[in-house]
Amino acid sequence: MEKYRISDSQLVSLYKNGNEEAFEQLLNRYKAKVFTTIYLIVKDNYVAEDLLQETFVKVVRTIKEGRYNEEGKFLPWLMRIAHNLAIDYFRKDKRYPTVVLEDGSKVLNTLQFAEDSVESIQVQRDMHSKLRELIQELPTAQREVLMMRHYMEMSFQEIAESTGVSINTALGRMRYALINLRKKMKQYNIAYDQNIYPR
Amino acid sequence: MTKTFTQDDVIRYLYQETAEKESNEIEKAMLCDARLQEMYKEFALIKKDLSRALKQPSERVINSILNYSKSLNLPSKP
Repeated sequence: MEKYRISDSQLVSLYKNGNEEAFEQLLNRYKAKVFTTIYLIVKDNYVAEDLLQETFVKVVRTIKEGRYNEEGKFLPWLMRIAHNLAIDYFRKDKRYPTVVLEDGSKVLNTLQFAEDSVESIQVQRDMHSKLRELIQELPTAQREVLMMRHYMEMSFQEIAESTGVSINTALGRMRYALINLRKKMKQYNIAYDQNIYPR
Repeated sequence: MTKTFTQDDVIRYLYQETAEKESNEIEKAMLCDARLQEMYKEFALIKKDLSRALKQPSERVINSILNYSKSLNLPSKP
């Protein structure tokens, strides 16, 4: 039986009224999505954790100070804060991620990183870790659309508006991102779960 | 007659950005077009892996955020 899931806006309302458990639910609901998005931009575990903290500090202050706009959706707002902080981090340090050409030329700043994963199976952990590396190796424009659509849950229309391209270009970038990832996974012989689930 | 669909249509379908009618047409087209079906399967597998490749932050940082929230008592504006 499907459990009743309280909506984000209901949780925000409860939190505004002092319910800290509501905030804990929101945090647990989106912490991995926000963290992965930041991590894929900054490519450093410690920096990503700092920026995750900074993101939620902004969320806490905005809601507690009564400045949260009820009309918008919570997740896109949260992801915008995280995305902007991650990009600002590079601008401040003049360390914007290596620009990669549309033809998929290699990036120079691929990092090997220590994992702090909760998965219990080593094979899965390795696969997920490698997949995140492969996402980082995608050309910037493709990686951006993939992150915006998959992790930030923006529609292709919203992505097109946000990045100043047509919806067809946004879709094309997503297509290349998925095709490139598939090719790279095959190249590295990464076995993925072959079970197809409904979308 | 079955409509022709592109890879981009399949991606919109995968991410649930097609209307019900178009979704039904794409599903119908996939039954007759093995290439389209194969493409959908490949994209669906990657999509699933992307969702499972989420990285978890440490408990330490999550507790720190929760503690910050609990410690902040601001008078809420109407």
